[in-house]
Amino acid sequence: MKQTRREFIKNNAIAATAAAAGITIPGVKEAVAAEGDDGIRWDKAACRYCGTGCSVLMGVKDGKVVASQGDPDAPVNRGLNCIKGYFLPKILYGKDRLTQPLLRKKDGKYDKNGDFTPVSWEEAFQTMADKWIEARKKGPKGVGMFGSGQWTVWEGYAAQKLLKAGFRSNSLEPNARHCMASAVGAFMRGFGIDEPMGCYDDLEHADAFVLWGANMAEMHPILWSRLTDTRLTKKGCEVHVMSTFEHRSFELSDNDLIFEPQTDLAIANYIANYIIQNKAYNKDFLGKHVNFTQTATDIGYGLRASDPREKAAKNRNSGKLTKISFEEYAKSVEPYTLEYTSKLSKVPKKNLERLAKVYADPNKKVTSYWTMGMNQHTRGVWVNGLVYNIHLLMGKISEPGNSPFSLTGQPSACGTAREVGTFTHRLPADLVVKKDAHCKFAEKTWQIPAGTIPRANGKMDDKDQTDISGKPMGKTLIHAVAMHRALKDSKMNTFWVMCNNNLQAAANFNDESLPGWRNPDNFITVSDPYPTVSAMGADLVLPTAMWIEKEGAYGNAERRTQFWRQQVAAPGEAKSDLWQVMEFSKYVKTDDVWDAALLEANPDYKGKTLFDVLYANGVVNKFPVEQVTDDRGNKYDNDEAKDFGFYAQKGLFEEYRLFNSAEGIPKKGHEMAEFGAYHKARGIRWPVIDGKETLWRFREGYDPHVAKGEGVKFYGKPDGKANIISAPYEPAAEVPDKEYPLWLSTGRVLEHWHSGSMTMRVPELRKAVPDALCYMHPKDARKLRLRDGAKVKVVSRRGEIETRVETRGRNKPPQGLVYVPWFDAARLINKVTLDQTDPLSKETDYKKCAVKVVKA
Amino acid sequence: MNICGILVHTQPNNFDAVRERLLSVQGVEVHGMSKEGRVVITLEEDNEDQMAESLHEVQRLEGVIAASMIYHHKEDENQAISQETVQ
Repeated sequence: MKQTRREFIKNNAIAATAAAAGITIPGVKEAVAAEGDDGIRWDKAACRYCGTGCSVLMGVKDGKVVASQGDPDAPVNRGLNCIKGYFLPKILYGKDRLTQPLLRKKDGKYDKNGDFTPVSWEEAFQTMADKWIEARKKGPKGVGMFGSGQWTVWEGYAAQKLLKAGFRSNSLEPNARHCMASAVGAFMRGFGIDEPMGCYDDLEHADAFVLWGANMAEMHPILWSRLTDTRLTKKGCEVHVMSTFEHRSFELSDNDLIFEPQTDLAIANYIANYIIQNKAYNKDFLGKHVNFTQTATDIGYGLRASDPREKAAKNRNSGKLTKISFEEYAKSVEPYTLEYTSKLSKVPKKNLERLAKVYADPNKKVTSYWTMGMNQHTRGVWVNGLVYNIHLLMGKISEPGNSPFSLTGQPSACGTAREVGTFTHRLPADLVVKKDAHCKFAEKTWQIPAGTIPRANGKMDDKDQTDISGKPMGKTLIHAVAMHRALKDSKMNTFWVMCNNNLQAAANFNDESLPGWRNPDNFITVSDPYPTVSAMGADLVLPTAMWIEKEGAYGNAERRTQFWRQQVAAPGEAKSDLWQVMEFSKYVKTDDVWDAALLEANPDYKGKTLFDVLYANGVVNKFPVEQVTDDRGNKYDNDEAKDFGFYAQKGLFEEYRLFNSAEGIPKKGHEMAEFGAYHKARGIRWPVIDGKETLWRFREGYDPHVAKGEGVKFYGKPDGKANIISAPYEPAAEVPDKEYPLWLSTGRVLEHWHSGSMTMRVPELRKAVPDALCYMHPKDARKLRLRDGAKVKVVSRRGEIETRVETRGRNKPPQGLVYVPWFDAARLINKVTLDQTDPLSKETDYKKCAVKVVKA
Repeated sequence: MNICGILVHTQPNNFDAVRERLLSVQGVEVHGMSKEGRVVITLEEDNEDQMAESLHEVQRLEGVIAASMIYHHKEDENQAISQETVQ
């Protein structure tokens, strides 16, 4: 049968879609993305956007991406792709891509108040190195780097080495601090090892799904498609949706729960109380696998110490856990009766009870999902833990369909920020700088002198570590929000922001972030593909090669590590973050940043560049440049390997594996396969033992770390038991009052990903949702005499923005709450938000503060 | 030429109404549906702005629970040999 080309392409589209739907359509043959026709080269890549980790097939022709397709062989997305996936190729080709380093200059010289002027990479790095060496003299917190959950695995790893081993500074944080830190805190406290025990396969195994604030329909559309499919095809399957406002996910909801901000704490405790009162808990499981603890209460809100709310806190910043009995735990949740919780949360009793029943039913497999709603919370670690409590009480954990599951927002928040540990307090594979032994292991692995890495308290073997100044290091940890405060206070003088839009993203733009960045004492570098708000706020802008313009690796929310090859070349002089980190290290010598005694004791390290010490160490540069070739014989470039003269990605990954997969490592359970395996697979979920991935952790038969006969073993903890952690409801830092009568919640919309620095470049996406609107209940609008579309100001104690009111949009807040997305650089909602954090995780709470809305 | 294959999820008992709504979107054709509520549609629209608009519209339709892009192919006008015949 002859057909036109258009018919042929259309047939392909129908066939691929029908295959994904699992149906056959008469007359349509399977003929999908056949390589060879029309000269398109197809290859897999992990999607650039969210933490789901979909695999996409990218079609490249003449060095340019021309087509894309959901990867039918991908276990995550099974050929599906969300609407943002449609625009993936376009994020590479925005008209305002940066192609040259830009330095603020006046009269040919660097000047903080000068104009952006194109400079060479050499001038850029030399200027930067001078500033960094000078700033480092102040102490380990004099310099700082703010990286990303969008860094590839080896970019994060290279940066980790540069800061902690090279600059001897723990001033390294990822933007994941703002999204995942609470989740990490709860995993460590509850289970002693990070990341979910379950996986996406739970989407087909569960009988009931509970969304704790997550709007999966818009934020994780592919997982939502799978969930929808289960709901529509499995008898008795139900979906419970909890949120502070009504959103798209309610379309599928069987039980709507709109709750007052912060009362999720009470709801979780009510469910636990219900389970205990009805004696539904799994006694055997609790006896064998669970310890009960009480966390310290009244811990403040992570504001500056001078804030009255901090002064009033009895146990400011305390995460202390005290062992308690089951009876004491039961007593601690007793106040959370149906009556009390319903009144506090404003959720009708019948809805609360229905939710509690589904958890308490021993025959229902329940999977819980949450993301920022629970993480960006001044009690984020607590509330994460409260959901684990429910699952642990029932033993509904670590098996197909029974799964408390913390979703991630960024493509490699897990793979890079968390697993590589690019936080101030972390090292790779769950090691921490608080522990001397962990630091020593890292130093041995990195072949650097013992005592090079700054300990959290600045002491090795109980003796002070000496800094370049000759003085003791002192305390070395500094978290993301504190970095902006330190910049404002001139305590930190150089700051390198990479692969994120921190100026737009950080809370309290007016009072902390912007003054810190524009402080005349400071030198701010931003690496980005686009002129974002952050880039414009910097002193030096470095053009970045993004995503498939380099060889990369991401780790998604279900512990799946995925690789891709370099598909296309970057424009102009843009270079990958990996290249930038490694190349910059050539401009700094050990003598510039290490103290004299350390060098005296280890003379081999004298006079070396940081590049020599960190990357030319015989391990990272072990693998020669090779022609990257796929199993179909297609050839790919590797620009970093070409520049450095060795296969940097492979060397870095193999060195990283010495932390998670070698003999005698301090913490088991993060094992990964060797480099080559990932280029062949559609991702592999760790722990990888004998080449096999692990789907459910901690349970015999699924997890090879659990021996025969052990049943369940939470091996992250020394005694193999998980913690149920009692934590009460405590009010939010700022609640609506007479002057500021409304709650403000912020978040994302489907079409834009996070701050919009990529998606706002795509004209079609911009057009679809050009401005961040203020979503409001019609009655609230009427009270303020605002028509739909009226211009308004959203005002808090800190600042205000102008926008328009939307009362009929897809987000439907209850009375008393407004919702404003934060992708819009022209309407920086973070001028309004409060830089409150969870005192335990230091993660910012963007979901709650008090505002008023007035006519503009 | 600019063609997308899209998988739409809907409640099966809602299908007829959703089908009508889908067909009202410019460029949409409905090719089939499973009894579980999975609908196969294509979106064909050479004008890129219109394509994006239609894509968003599909997602927002009442009764559409989820819409996933499966396949996308775009050819520039100058090389759009749309009448070329292939086997």
